[in-house]
Amino acid sequence: MSEPTGVPRWVGTALPLKEDVRLVAGRGRFIDDLGQPGQLHAAFLRSPHAHARIVSIDARVAAVHAGVFAVLTGAEAARLSGPIRPLIPTTAVVSDYCLAVDRVRYAGEPVAAVAAVDRATAEDALELIRVEYDPLPAVVDPEEALQPGAPLLYPELGTNVVWHDTLTYGDVDGAMARAHGVLRERFTIQRYASTPLETFGAIAAYDPGLDAFEFWTNDQRPGLTISILAASLGVPQSRIRLSCPDIGGGFGNKRRPAYLLICALLARAAGRPVKWIEDRIENLTALMHACNGVMDVELAYQADGTLLALSVRDVADEGKNLVTPSQHNLIKLGNIANGYRIPAIRYEAWSVLTTKCPSGANRGIGKPFMCFAIERAMTLLARRLGLDPAELRLRNYVTADQMPYTTPPGAQYDSGDYPATLRRALECFDYAGWRAEQARARREGRLVGIGIATSIEPAGTNLASYELLTGRRTVSGSAETAMVRMEPDGHVRVSVGDPSSGQGYETVIAQIVADELGLTPGNVAVARGFDSATTPWLYLSGNYSNKFSVTDVGAIVGAARKVADKLRRLAAHRLEIDPGDLELRDGAVVVRGAADRRVAFAELARTAYADVLGLPPGEEPGLESRHAHQNPLAAPVDAQRRVRSQLVFSNAAHCCLVEVHPRTGVVTLLKYLVAHDCGRELNPLIVEGMVHGSTVHGIGAALLEEFRYDQQGQLLTSTFLDYLKPTATDVPAIEVERLEHPSPFTPLGAKGVGEGGAIPGPAAVANAVEDALTPFGVTIRSLPITPERVWRWMRPGAA
Amino acid sequence: MIAPAERLSIRLTVNGRVIEREIAARRSLADFLREDLGLTGTHVGCEHGVCGACTVLVDGESARSCLLFAVQLDGATVTTIEGLTPPEGLSPLQQAFCAAHAMQCGFCTPGMIVATTELLRTNPSPSPGQIREALGGNLCMCTGYVNIVRAVARAAAALRGGAGESS
Repeated sequence: MSEPTGVPRWVGTALPLKEDVRLVAGRGRFIDDLGQPGQLHAAFLRSPHAHARIVSIDARVAAVHAGVFAVLTGAEAARLSGPIRPLIPTTAVVSDYCLAVDRVRYAGEPVAAVAAVDRATAEDALELIRVEYDPLPAVVDPEEALQPGAPLLYPELGTNVVWHDTLTYGDVDGAMARAHGVLRERFTIQRYASTPLETFGAIAAYDPGLDAFEFWTNDQRPGLTISILAASLGVPQSRIRLSCPDIGGGFGNKRRPAYLLICALLARAAGRPVKWIEDRIENLTALMHACNGVMDVELAYQADGTLLALSVRDVADEGKNLVTPSQHNLIKLGNIANGYRIPAIRYEAWSVLTTKCPSGANRGIGKPFMCFAIERAMTLLARRLGLDPAELRLRNYVTADQMPYTTPPGAQYDSGDYPATLRRALECFDYAGWRAEQARARREGRLVGIGIATSIEPAGTNLASYELLTGRRTVSGSAETAMVRMEPDGHVRVSVGDPSSGQGYETVIAQIVADELGLTPGNVAVARGFDSATTPWLYLSGNYSNKFSVTDVGAIVGAARKVADKLRRLAAHRLEIDPGDLELRDGAVVVRGAADRRVAFAELARTAYADVLGLPPGEEPGLESRHAHQNPLAAPVDAQRRVRSQLVFSNAAHCCLVEVHPRTGVVTLLKYLVAHDCGRELNPLIVEGMVHGSTVHGIGAALLEEFRYDQQGQLLTSTFLDYLKPTATDVPAIEVERLEHPSPFTPLGAKGVGEGGAIPGPAAVANAVEDALTPFGVTIRSLPITPERVWRWMRPGAA
Repeated sequence: MIAPAERLSIRLTVNGRVIEREIAARRSLADFLREDLGLTGTHVGCEHGVCGACTVLVDGESARSCLLFAVQLDGATVTTIEGLTPPEGLSPLQQAFCAAHAMQCGFCTPGMIVATTELLRTNPSPSPGQIREALGGNLCMCTGYVNIVRAVARAAAALRGGAGESS
């Protein structure tokens, strides 16, 4: 691709967002705002048991209920559609359909569906379906699930273990033997999820004349979903059209091809479009949770705190997930060193099925737990060595002069100054001042604590890392594609295969293209959402993995530069001058140093589309370009099983101040500061907002959120009354400090920012609460830190 | 006793317009506004009265439209986000939300605007703590609330400034 044409004017500015203007007036178009003529509404009947054999389903009464147009059971779904192909390859091959066929494996799994004139009628009809279940023992704890004799979700697999492997990089045992000491700790993490405020939903329509399906959905990964739908429905991908409107938050949660398939089968049976909108209880019970799990950490160190080796045994509880199994494990492996120089690393992965809600992608996938374990271990090690927790970290960071630095498992830290980020955080937080204040507060009997946690934050996933699971490569790399079109009137339209779910793409993409073409963002219209018939897309397309900076930007810049080059060629022909003497500025191609010699874009566009005899010889009519960008860092797994599973790395340091109420155990966050470095900030207003929001996700996981199950596999927290999210009164005003070390490996130097504070947030809060509870000698090994648990810690005899 | 699907007649005022409809007794106000009147700016986030996305003004006071049956609103005056948005441009509160980027996905935003409209009517000079209290019944999953608090403070200042000039 050619070079940019001038000094950037728009990238890097805190431009207010174009999309905010409609969203603030309630003029967004979300999935539940859409409708199709003749549309029916679907409701799903869900299993009340965590684990049971389905003996029989009788839907005859429901099928003839007034207003009902179609009823679908698992047996019919298995007759009318194929099994759902897993996204992540696995050796545990099963045939799961869009509805449970002969066995349910979590409470909330859909077993039947109804399409009726409205949702209420559909729900009435569900009550008329008779299902006979033969309950089986639930298996709720992942460590029990991997024991011999545990109840099996899939008896045909002979085990609940989806993946077990030990990956060793360097002489871990030797380092452990030579070490001054080894810190051994066991940490656990609960199930939680980002729970976007808009739930999941879809509309499906079937056109019998074309034998084609059309979908509207807030699915975050449309490229992948289309391939799964086509395979299950038995139609070519060319006869599936899928569109995304505005998406009301995603955070990884919004994907479930099974639900789209149910709507499609109902729509074909009913002969009318079918809409289904997930309700909140369905969302919390059955969409997806981040894996809960257990991690045993061994950290070998020298007397001065220098790290020598790390060994981790990690058990990830997948629930009933054979669509994206082992994803959390792989991402933990890629981020295991967390910015530290650790010469030898061992990772023992267990990915285990239980009779709970399927696990899936959730802001940071695995990294929040990885970071929690490492940052808790570092804090405990500092305590053991009598070092300040900041000092221990500073002694162990990969430093700026060591970049790019490759960790033993193959992750490459591309840029940044990790010590500088922590020092900035300490300084702006007034760490020394608060330590003195804390000492004073303690003398008064107040329980005040300070927590530090730091993290790396990768962007982009190289899917070649899946080869670690099966030894075979099926998908690989990290890429996205975009289209830039100058319309016949000189205005510009852009679309990209990544539908925004709140990241401000309509604004930041307009900023990027405006700079490339010498326009203002107001001249650049970025398509809302996604439409497979008009948006360029790849299987890899979608809104995931923090990938905007590493793939999308390259695609957008590449497409814009192709249009810019063509504009220059057209103007050069017109002005009889070398294209190299031309630049794009203020909506025109201008001769460098002779601003009066110019051709307006509208004039060139008119030539390109309408007066095509005026084109240079051999030049194609039109002013539209597509470009796909494959991030060059992605590479296959090497012979030592090292891989860059993620591509460029941001980093952050969190400092927080908490006070624990001695009588109630309530934790109050008094102050929270984030210093972060995501490279070049394309729009600082968007970046800062994401830092705020992601940090509060981390706080929620630390203090409030937990999907709690009983021993029978029943979810006890299935509404926002008992699954608690942070409210405005639970969190302080997050303070943000920025450093800006651009990545040399992305087209504009930007790095990831979407996952941000969700990664170190839980560790930072836990470190602070433990610090506050120093008088009680508490060690925090699990989350969330609820008042009840704190109260018990402060009263060891109270049980 | 009224059966859930039984249809009843209501007459109410929505955004200044008098509406007469016959609707099922079980229809929520949120569904009535969205499905029957096409006012899709009111969003439904939980349907159990916690998230606040569906907040509207009923006779000037904020209410969860997911927890009300539309038939309860006979004779009432309802104002939604559409009614709080001027025919041209945006209200000062909406402008402040845009200037502070007080939203990301925008799904909670209409409910936030309704809730903070009520706050600023009753308290023109709220402290940050009072703003947070007033937002306590509205969940936002994206912003961490920081920019929303900033936006409300900014709007309050702008509205006070405007009032000062006219008095």
